[in-house]
Amino acid sequence: MADEKRPESKSSAVKKLKATAAASVYQKQWFAGLKARVDAGEDFGYLNADVPMEVLCAMDIPYVVNQWWAAICGAKRMTRKYFGLLRDAGYRDDLCSYCATAFAESLDPDDHKVDADGKPLGPWGGLPDPTLAITRLTCDCQSKIFELFAKNHGASFYAMENTVARKVPLKWFELAPDRWEELYDTDRIDAGVEELKELIRFLEMKTGKMFDINRLEYVMNLINEQEGWYRKTRDLIAACHPVPVTVVDTINAVMQAQWQRGSEWAAVHAKSLYEEVKALADAGVAAVPNEKYRLMWIGRGIWHDFSFYQRFEQKYGAVFVWTMYLAMGADAYIRNHVEKDPLRALAARYIGMEDFLHMPPWNNTWYVQQAAQNDIDGVVYMVPENCMQAVEGSYFIKKALEDAGIPVLTFNADPVDARKWNADSMTGLVDEFIETRVIPTRVKRKGE
Amino acid sequence: MSIRECALQSKAFAALKDAYDNRETAAAKWRAEGKKVIGELGCDVPDEYIIAAGMLPIHVYADPDRPLAETNKYLEYAFDPVVRAQFEKIVDGTYNSQIDALAISNSTDVIIRIFLYLRELKRVEPEKPVPPIAFIDWLFTRNRMHQVRNELTLSLFKQTVEEWAGREISDEDLTAAAKICNADRQALREMAKLRHGDEVRISGSEALVIIGSAFFMEREAHTELVKQVTEDAKTWPVIDAPRVFFTGSNQEDTALYDLIEDQGLVIVGEDHDWGDRYYDRDYNLSYTPICAIVDRYMLREFSSKKAFVSQRVDALNREVDAAGAKAVVFYTNKYEEAASWDYPSQKQSLEGRGIATAGFFQMHWPIQNNENLADRLAEFAGSLKGGAENG
Repeated sequence: MADEKRPESKSSAVKKLKATAAASVYQKQWFAGLKARVDAGEDFGYLNADVPMEVLCAMDIPYVVNQWWAAICGAKRMTRKYFGLLRDAGYRDDLCSYCATAFAESLDPDDHKVDADGKPLGPWGGLPDPTLAITRLTCDCQSKIFELFAKNHGASFYAMENTVARKVPLKWFELAPDRWEELYDTDRIDAGVEELKELIRFLEMKTGKMFDINRLEYVMNLINEQEGWYRKTRDLIAACHPVPVTVVDTINAVMQAQWQRGSEWAAVHAKSLYEEVKALADAGVAAVPNEKYRLMWIGRGIWHDFSFYQRFEQKYGAVFVWTMYLAMGADAYIRNHVEKDPLRALAARYIGMEDFLHMPPWNNTWYVQQAAQNDIDGVVYMVPENCMQAVEGSYFIKKALEDAGIPVLTFNADPVDARKWNADSMTGLVDEFIETRVIPTRVKRKGE
Repeated sequence: MSIRECALQSKAFAALKDAYDNRETAAAKWRAEGKKVIGELGCDVPDEYIIAAGMLPIHVYADPDRPLAETNKYLEYAFDPVVRAQFEKIVDGTYNSQIDALAISNSTDVIIRIFLYLRELKRVEPEKPVPPIAFIDWLFTRNRMHQVRNELTLSLFKQTVEEWAGREISDEDLTAAAKICNADRQALREMAKLRHGDEVRISGSEALVIIGSAFFMEREAHTELVKQVTEDAKTWPVIDAPRVFFTGSNQEDTALYDLIEDQGLVIVGEDHDWGDRYYDRDYNLSYTPICAIVDRYMLREFSSKKAFVSQRVDALNREVDAAGAKAVVFYTNKYEEAASWDYPSQKQSLEGRGIATAGFFQMHWPIQNNENLADRLAEFAGSLKGGAENG
């Protein structure tokens, strides 16, 4: 492993944004509050990222999102231990790292214990025992892992089905906010609504809490407000040369709040993020003063090595300006006119989430459009190593971008499992990409 | 043991083996007569609709000897090797010259991706020789909401089949086709009694040929041959060997079964789609046609891909008991990962019931690419025989 050799962060942006720091502080406070509620006997849901968490938010059922928690475990360097536990229990330790992390954690007898100094052994004191484990059937492994996870925690397991789009209009990002009935097959939205009704009934029976459609409408409007700020932030960053912030700030600022969507805090935080970025832009502040090349990152974040994104700034003036995390908030979540039918609007949000990212042609057409809007010079594309859910037509993504004149570097890596990451070789790969493809293409394109 | 001389001397078995070995013959003859052939990818395409429309359903299968020039260009390496090889034949034009259209069912997550990739390929590289495609988006979790949804999905598929056939499928057409398919399934169930009963007279490899030949020939002819071979097999020698159940990857040929049975074991049942699972559950003729189709394909025994761990544990226990197996071989190809999440629970449950297990995972395909496989199987066989000899 090359962890010891990893260069220090060189980006000033990482220390600049108050919104990023505020999100980090808030999530710890929020998690402590959630644990207190669970300790007091409240139901607690553990959800996969594509589950419509808005329903639980509206019902005031505390929940944690699987991908967020896997990222926390990855950042706390727990994966080596956890995947050892999987192996000891007879499971493969090289599969489904994003989805299996929490299941592996559930095998850890020390998760809720403290060491001799009183320091928690589990990440943030370990995950409280969920009473509800909810996933969608968007891959063959996920439901199996969630069921095993639920069994270990004594939680009720619930799975929502997934349907495949027959109708695939190319510019989904133009249709999603207002014209979702044109975006999807009508019967797909109908099925999505029925799934929501079943989920609501399950939650009502399990928790004794009533679902209130008025509360969902309020939550949905808060989310529109939050995502609207992300749209303004994304558009602002795209228009700035140089950018006032890099992905190192935006990923954390957005991701942590995205999993809190529907809360007042998340909407206020998104506004504060925009205002802070706007102030930096108005003041002419550059995250990387020598910005020359703008890079796009496709794939999940490298949670165990965030400084990777900043290693090309001083040497080349190459700045990662784009990830899906901010842009998905900007383009995929907003559903206006919620008041007409909040459940249908929610269905029109959640049924497309996996498709926007992982289904050709929706993913590749969006990446091309975003590359153009953000004036991208090169794309670094991490193809997941062990996740069929994220197998998404990398050939078509690369082809679409390169046909548009944008060079693409693809490589295989794992977003969670630090055991498989070699920082030096990955840095060398991107160095070479910048030197041999990004710079020559830019020179050819702009004559610089 | 493999396929025995007694089987090869049966005219019916020889005819089935001819269809199994020469998989393009029946389809080519069918097309030469001006009739249409529909390829099936995924194990949940209702043959009943295709037969009712006067067309021949055949299974897409992998060629282990064909270089994967096209596949390596389009597919990420996380696709399992059999699907990769199937994809090659779809994209390189092989199937375009053998079938009139391709029906894909979402029987695994990997096959869903294959559909999405083929659809995109048709959009961005329309010159590729890919046949017309239909996709069947089953929902396999068992509740009323999904049963209703499946009825809509299958009505859409029926419309597509009608377009391919150039004519409507009447209820009478469908009932007639369902009777043909039910008769074939019943014939195979009768055959299986000679695997599952007290006396085993049909080996696993022989059963694979008898079952799998249905995927490459006209169904009524298959049924008649299965009936004849079942009569013939009643006089075949009893196979006195430890009884093994096979769970895991689809076996499109007999190579692995031959290797297992050459170690002195006999495979008396399996849960993959080129074996016993193919003929599980009938089309219920007392239901309305759409309900009967949904019932047959949605509610047959759980597949290893589209089921929860607890369902798979129970299913495997049921199937092992029904086959009278004393041991289970788990065998999955590299990148065919879903079943690996079932395995520890299944192993624990089986061994708690006194059933021996052996696990073979991340296996290369074709099987000769695996080092020491025969030795590992021989070791397992030895442990079973030793256990038997020791009482």
